[in-house]
Amino acid sequence: MTSPTTPDNKPNLSRRAFLGSVGSIAGAIALGGVGGAAGGYALGRDQALANVPNPLDAEPFYGVHQSGIETGVQAHGVFLGFDLKPASTREHGRRLMRLLTDDAAHLTAGKPAAPDNDPTLADQPARLTIAFGFGPGFFSKLGLAAQMPAGFVDIPAYSIDRLQPQFSGGDVVIQVGSDDPLTLSHAVRQMSRTSKSFCTARWSQRGFVRAAGYLKPGETPRNLMGQVDGTINPKPATKDFDAQVWSTQSGWFAGGTMMVLRRIAMDLDGWDKLDDHDKENAVGRKLVSGAPLTGKLEHDVADFDAVDDVKLPIIPDYAHIRRAAPQSATEKFLRRPLSYDDGILDGGVPDAGLLFAAYMANIKTQYIPVQDRLAKLDLMNKWTTPIGSSVFAFPPGCQPGGYIGEGLLR
Amino acid sequence: MKTISIRRLAGLAAAALLATAALTACAPAAPASPTITDPWVKAMPEVMKDMDMTALFGVVSNPTDETIYLTGGTVSDASLTETKLDAHEVVKGEDGKMKMQEVKDGIPVPAHGSVTLKPGSYHIMFWNLKKPIAVGENIDVTLNFSNGSTLKVTAVSRDIANYAG
Repeated sequence: MTSPTTPDNKPNLSRRAFLGSVGSIAGAIALGGVGGAAGGYALGRDQALANVPNPLDAEPFYGVHQSGIETGVQAHGVFLGFDLKPASTREHGRRLMRLLTDDAAHLTAGKPAAPDNDPTLADQPARLTIAFGFGPGFFSKLGLAAQMPAGFVDIPAYSIDRLQPQFSGGDVVIQVGSDDPLTLSHAVRQMSRTSKSFCTARWSQRGFVRAAGYLKPGETPRNLMGQVDGTINPKPATKDFDAQVWSTQSGWFAGGTMMVLRRIAMDLDGWDKLDDHDKENAVGRKLVSGAPLTGKLEHDVADFDAVDDVKLPIIPDYAHIRRAAPQSATEKFLRRPLSYDDGILDGGVPDAGLLFAAYMANIKTQYIPVQDRLAKLDLMNKWTTPIGSSVFAFPPGCQPGGYIGEGLLR
Repeated sequence: MKTISIRRLAGLAAAALLATAALTACAPAAPASPTITDPWVKAMPEVMKDMDMTALFGVVSNPTDETIYLTGGTVSDASLTETKLDAHEVVKGEDGKMKMQEVKDGIPVPAHGSVTLKPGSYHIMFWNLKKPIAVGENIDVTLNFSNGSTLKVTAVSRDIANYAG
């Protein structure tokens, strides 16, 4: 949730001045925009200007849960994967997490880390969040295997997978998100500096949604295939969200969550060969509205029993949303994906796809059954290939003076 | 024009009254000694001959009405070093090169202001380290000030590329 706080060293005046200047720009555009009626999937000009981002907006760092999960998705995000150095001990884990927590608390509040080699890049948090997760190796290397949360399991190998080590595994993940790419880069650099005393870098995966302020409140982001992605997500600050995402296990993991990160390469050249009808059948939703093929609006409940005039299912048996649909009340989780577009591969093929980040209280019961079904049958598998996979247990949040992971490491 | 300036004057007078009221009504007893935020020490994973030193950094604030000088300090753990900590600065020498030297009178912390101790500038110098300082270790130090006050500080050690002092 965005709280328009002002970092201590920033007078309120600068926020007002900023809003004032945006107001004049908005006025100027509104005057010039007469007659620009938008239709279809384009935003109207008034709507487009309604959600103005503020570079001084800060997300809370301290709390019951880590920020960056229930937080509205930021425009830009990076997942950093690290491995603990050989012979790491629990004391190293403690030091690592104390220092990283201190860095994150400073940077998310718009203050330089102590020390920060580039303090001039710290003063506009732009909804920066920094969250930490532990991979299976973190537990085993530090002698904490017995403390692994119940249901924290790696994703089985699937025949559709083409996993590459440079996008898979990892003992520690640092998830960084911000609406400003410069702020994000600075935070990533600082986190990497601090980590390198204890860890070696394994991978860095960068993604994005629309620019800050370009998503309407509650609008579901689209992926690079043009599909809305995350329609059936639980709404933040609801009982559904709590039940799906935050662990209620007793012990150190209470209030934590688990993340499955899958790097899904998209065959965009192949996808281009389909017409709209084929694309809609593959996913089971209409491209423009995002509505299920049996509905009119995006959030209409899909009717998987509906058939057409020749008694064929309207949502095909192979459609993604049919295969992904929960078969029990437990098979639900939060999707918070980012797109990636890292240029071109050999032969000019787009190096693009999805950083599919999913969060749930229990990977084994909530996530694996869904992934099992999709791996067996999902027409989208024809144009999507998992090339990276990792799982992390995100500890609960902490309070000032504490650090992320203290319940496990103390 | 005349009206505006009178209004301005009235506004200033009102502001002054409010400020006076605030001072008399709800001013807490001012803390009489300096404070430090974000104290850290440059980690020294290895101690070698002529490389047995490090430094402490942070932001030192002075809430009093007069300039106070940070004169040095001591380390609580005698097995780390027994040598007194010196107040240092980095200045341009006669040869044009930057060099560090002791600040004889101490590092000035202005009244109701602060001074930032950082690499390449003011710092508190550690000498004759007898053992390494690992990254993330806490180091307890007592800082001494010209007004006789002392400040107990727990500084965390950090890995940073800058040369410490």
